[in-house]
Formats: sequence, C-alpha cells, structure tokens
Amino acid sequence: MLSVRNLHAAVEGKAILNGINLEIGPGQVHAIMGPNGSGKSTLANVLAGRDHFEVTAGEVEFRGWDLLEMEPEIRAREGLFLAFQYPVEIPGVSNLHMLKAAVNAVRRHRGEEELNAMEFLKLIKQKAALVEMRQEFLYRSVNEGFSGGEKKRNEILQMAMFEPRLSVLDETDSGLDIDALKIVAQGVNSLRSSDRSILLVTHYQRLLDYIVPDFVHVLAHGKIIRSGDKDLALELERKGYSWVEDHAGAA
Amino acid sequence: MQALPDACADPRTRPYLEQFRDVHETLSGAGVEWLARSRVSSMAHLCSGGFPTQRDEDWKYTPLRSVMAHPFSLAVGGHVPDDPDRYGVPGLDSLRVACIDGILDSRCAPCPAAGLSVQSFSDMLARNPDQLKSCMGKVSGARSHGFVLLNEALHRDGVVIEIAPRVRIDRPVELLMLSCEDSALVLPRILIIASEGCRVEIVEHQVSAHAGSGLYCGMTEMYLEPGAHVKYSVIQNQSRSAYQVSGAWAELAENSRLDCRTVSVGGALTRNDLAVNLTGPGAHCDMLGAYCLSGRQHVDNHTTVVHGAENCTSNELYKGVLDDRSRGVFHGRIRVEEGARKTDAQQANNTLLLSRGAEIDTKPQLEIYADDVKCSHGATVGQLDDKALFYLQTRGIDPAAARSMLISAFVGEVLQSVEPQPLHDYLCALLDEQLSDPGTGEPGP
Repeated sequence: MLSVRNLHAAVEGKAILNGINLEIGPGQVHAIMGPNGSGKSTLANVLAGRDHFEVTAGEVEFRGWDLLEMEPEIRAREGLFLAFQYPVEIPGVSNLHMLKAAVNAVRRHRGEEELNAMEFLKLIKQKAALVEMRQEFLYRSVNEGFSGGEKKRNEILQMAMFEPRLSVLDETDSGLDIDALKIVAQGVNSLRSSDRSILLVTHYQRLLDYIVPDFVHVLAHGKIIRSGDKDLALELERKGYSWVEDHAGAA
Repeated sequence: MQALPDACADPRTRPYLEQFRDVHETLSGAGVEWLARSRVSSMAHLCSGGFPTQRDEDWKYTPLRSVMAHPFSLAVGGHVPDDPDRYGVPGLDSLRVACIDGILDSRCAPCPAAGLSVQSFSDMLARNPDQLKSCMGKVSGARSHGFVLLNEALHRDGVVIEIAPRVRIDRPVELLMLSCEDSALVLPRILIIASEGCRVEIVEHQVSAHAGSGLYCGMTEMYLEPGAHVKYSVIQNQSRSAYQVSGAWAELAENSRLDCRTVSVGGALTRNDLAVNLTGPGAHCDMLGAYCLSGRQHVDNHTTVVHGAENCTSNELYKGVLDDRSRGVFHGRIRVEEGARKTDAQQANNTLLLSRGAEIDTKPQLEIYADDVKCSHGATVGQLDDKALFYLQTRGIDPAAARSMLISAFVGEVLQSVEPQPLHDYLCALLDEQLSDPGTGEPGP
C-alpha cells in the first residue's frame, strides 16, 4: 500500500525528518508514536502533500505510484486521506457543499458518475449516523464554531465518505473526551477491511485501546527508532519516551 | 435665463460645452422652461466648477486621467440590437424594460402589472412635465459633482417607475440598461416613486453589447413613501474598457425600507455614489455591495447614509475581491443628525486581496450629532487562507475549484439574501466567471 524509504524533509531549512522507513501493507493498522517535536505531524503532512514542507531526500510509493510527484488533490482521489490534527474552519462553505464537491471530484477521477443531490444526501446521512453527528452540522460552515470533538468527528465523517485506501489520522485523539474518543474509534474501526490501511499518529497510548494496531513505531528526532507490536505502546506508556530514546542512543 | 459661459475654467469640460451648444435645443423637454433653465445652469456650473480631480478629498483615490483623456460624444441612438432580451438575467421571470444607450426602447411591451407604471422620461416631459418638477434633482442636489452636472445638463431619456399605494408587484422589474454604441456618452435617468405601503423589486442591469469604451453617467432617484419596501439591485457588467460614474439617491419616509445591492464585475473604472436619506422615523436601509476585479479594474464606492429621524436603522456591508493590479475604494459616511435618537447604523468593508499588486483604500466616516445611538464600522483586508486551500485539496478538490469555493464563500455573504433564485445564481455566476478570467491586458486608469 505505502512504502516510505529514507524520507528526509525540512521546513525553512531545518531538517525535521531524517530518514524514515516504513512499509504499510493492505489491511494493516500502524501507529506512529513519539514525543512532541519528533516529526509525527510533519510525516502526516508530507504524505498528504503540504508544500510548506520540503522533501530533501527519499521516496514514497503509494499503490505503485510515486506519491511525492502527485498533487495533494490527486493523492486524495487515489485514496489517501489525512484527518487533520487541527481541522480548518471555512466560513461560508457548508459541510454539505464541500463534501459534495469533494466526493464528486473523486468520482470523476475514477470515471464514475457524479452523485446527484438526492443520492448524495442519502449517503451522507448514513455516514453521519456512523459518527453520531447531528444533521444540522451538515448544513453548518465547515468546522466553524465546532468544538474540538465535533471537528474530529467531522474528520471521521469525511473519511467515511471517501472510503480511502490509506487513512492517515494525525493526533485524532487529541482534545477528545472519552465518549468522543469511543465514537471516533468506532467510526474508524467500521472502516477497517482487508484492503484498507490506517496510519495512526498519536502521542498517547489511549487511542490504541480502541483502535488496536498491528504495528507500533516510535519516532524520535525524525527517525523511527523502534518498531514492535501493540505491546510496545503499553511499554512506552509505562516507561515514557525517554526510555526508548536512551535505549536507541545506547544501541 | 442664465447665459452659457464662453470660457471653461476646467478645459476638460470644453468638449461637453460644445456638445451642449449643439444639442440642447433638441433635448427632451426643451420646451419646458424650468428644465431648460436647469440644464443651462448645470452646464454653467460644470464649466466653472469643472470635473473632480484627485485634489478633491472625495476623489483622492480615483484618478480620472483615462476617463478624461478623450471626450465622449453623446450617444446618437439607433444602435438597436435585434433582440435585447438575450442580454437579460437568464431564467428570471421579470417585467423587462430595456434602455438602449440610455433611451427607453419603444418596442418594450407596456408592463402588464396592475399598479405599476413605467414610462420614458421624454414621454413624461412631453405630456406632464410638472409632475417631474417636484422630484427631479431634489434628492440629488446635495454633494453633486461634475458628472452629476453633466447628466443634469445633457440627459436625454430614461425611465420613470411609479408603484401605486399598497400594491405588491410580484415579479421583479428588470431595467436592462444596454450599451450598444461604442465610445458613446450615455446619460440615463431613473426615477422611482414608491407610494405608500407598496412593495417592489427592481433590478438595474447594466450590460454592454460591445467590447469598446464609453462613459456611462447614470442618475437614479428614489422616493419611498411611508411603509414602502423597495429592493434595488444594480448589476454592473459593462465592457472591460468602459467607464462609469453613476449615482443613486434615495429618500426614505417613515417605516419605509430600501434594500440596495450593488454588484460590480465589469468596467475599466467605476465610481458609484450612493446616498440614502432616512427622513422618517423607523426607516431602514440595507446597503450591500460586492465587487470582483481583475486586470487593472478600478471600483470606487462612495456611500452616505443620513439618519435624520428617530429609530432608523442602516446596515452596510461591502465586500471586494481584488486580483492582479486592480484597485478598490470604499468610502462610507454615516451622519446622524441631531435628534435622531435610537439610531442603529452598522458598516463594514471587507476585502480579499488575491495578488500583491492589488490595492484597497477604505475610509469610514462617522458624524454623530445625537445621543443614544449605536454606530459601528469596521474594515478588514486579508488574503486567501493557505490552510483552507490545502484542506480542500486534501479532500480531492483541485486548487482552482478550492479558490473559487473560498472566494464565493467570502462574497456570498452579500448575495445570501438575494431572491429570486435565477437572480442569485446569475450573480454568483458573474462573480465566478470574473475570477476565472485571466483579465490582463485591458486598459485601466
């Protein structure tokens, strides 16, 4: 699905990613954990194509394509989805309007017929129920005046609409209370399947109780310093990030 | 009668004085003494006072060099397109009246609505001139400038619309102001008399049938009697080489309501003066404006609202999107007269700059001579939000569509309340089209 090889990235000349290697197979759920400033969000944004970050070396292959050569909207249409850590507020553009434009852009790209208003409404209502989102939110401006939890649920609603091949969830758990976390996790889990993969970027182990990963990687100073299964997250929770960092330093 | 001057203090007025000498005896209402007198007086004032310059505070940001570079000749008429209807707002079920280069097209069917009278100015002057005497130029007397005087001196025709008391006109009246003659001076007059308790929606739709230049100085006067409700939308979609200096003046009696909206997309240089006098208690006016400019287009909106009575409200919002090297000017004056207690006056001018070369000059001006009033003003200038653009892209939306979505959302606030739907859709499409047009290469000021 995704292979990242020796990825280096910088922002304003400052190196943030220093050689990431990561292989994600179809149907797998990977979690990337790491302390603040380790480069987690940068990785998520580079994968989605944010031009603020400059890729200085390495390559990324996504479903056989050279991902770094693709525009962000093409990545999305080919099935890569980024759930933002800080979803953007867009006053004056309704959720419904944006999603209809987005879903139909994806469908056109795939050579499928666009959904008409009725079909679209039916689909979105069904997906909104999945994340327990009230219908009035569909008619409101994108994320405007939404609480932290509502914004994150809105991201998962969008994810559900797109049915992406690879979802990158950037700290989707941050700012969520336990009830919202469960709803979000339930939405994500319902999309798990043998041909969809998920990359969870998170600071805390808590999310992984609800979305159980197949692999856990620890990121520090822009490099994956340790990989393991879900038990690594639990160990990390117990011993703190300094443990892996020391460990890596000693190795 | 006042004599015409021999000399012009402002040499830019000379060609117009010469034209006046040639035609004034053939202008509409030439036999009506008060009108003939007023025309001569306006011309004399124009010659002595001249056209504005950037030294005038009200014209500081609007250079008239290009407008004044070549004198324009009065439209001669006769450039009548076969089918003016094709320039109308598509799909709008309107009572359409066409003015070709400022002259009412006689082929227009008389309006079928009961309680609505639409006549040409020249007919009215021929049949019943004294009815016009009391209202022509009354509200426009104040703050007049050279272009107003030019219209006052040389206007040939236009439309007089009267709505009978307590009548509700269900279909919008569309005044199709069509410019057909290249490089002509067009001086239409519009007079709207909204009788007590009536309701009407009027769309003044300015459009060019040619891609050439021209100078359009329209003057609109509106009288709203007690309880009248008038929606007045102006669509400015002239050719990209055309110049326009127009004015609208309104007087609102008690409990009347005026919803004004000006949408500007065309023209090389456009100056709009909008002045609303709230003279009766409880009157309300909305003054909304949207402009999307590219290339070297220039739009200057000068607005004035005078709160002259208690309990009046005004709500003003102008939003502009400026690309390339275009320039916007906004001047919003609110005057609250002594005794106009419980006034509520709001004003905002928000601008989106899409390029480094674009510029907005915005100036609020509040004069408050009463106690117990609420007045506010605000201006913002910003750029498209990069984060929002990226967000939309990650949702599969291409950058051009994402930009257009964000821009439409920005100006959309001004169009939100537009009815009926075909008019709303048309305005959105015009703004959208304007933004996807590369727009460079047109002459500008």
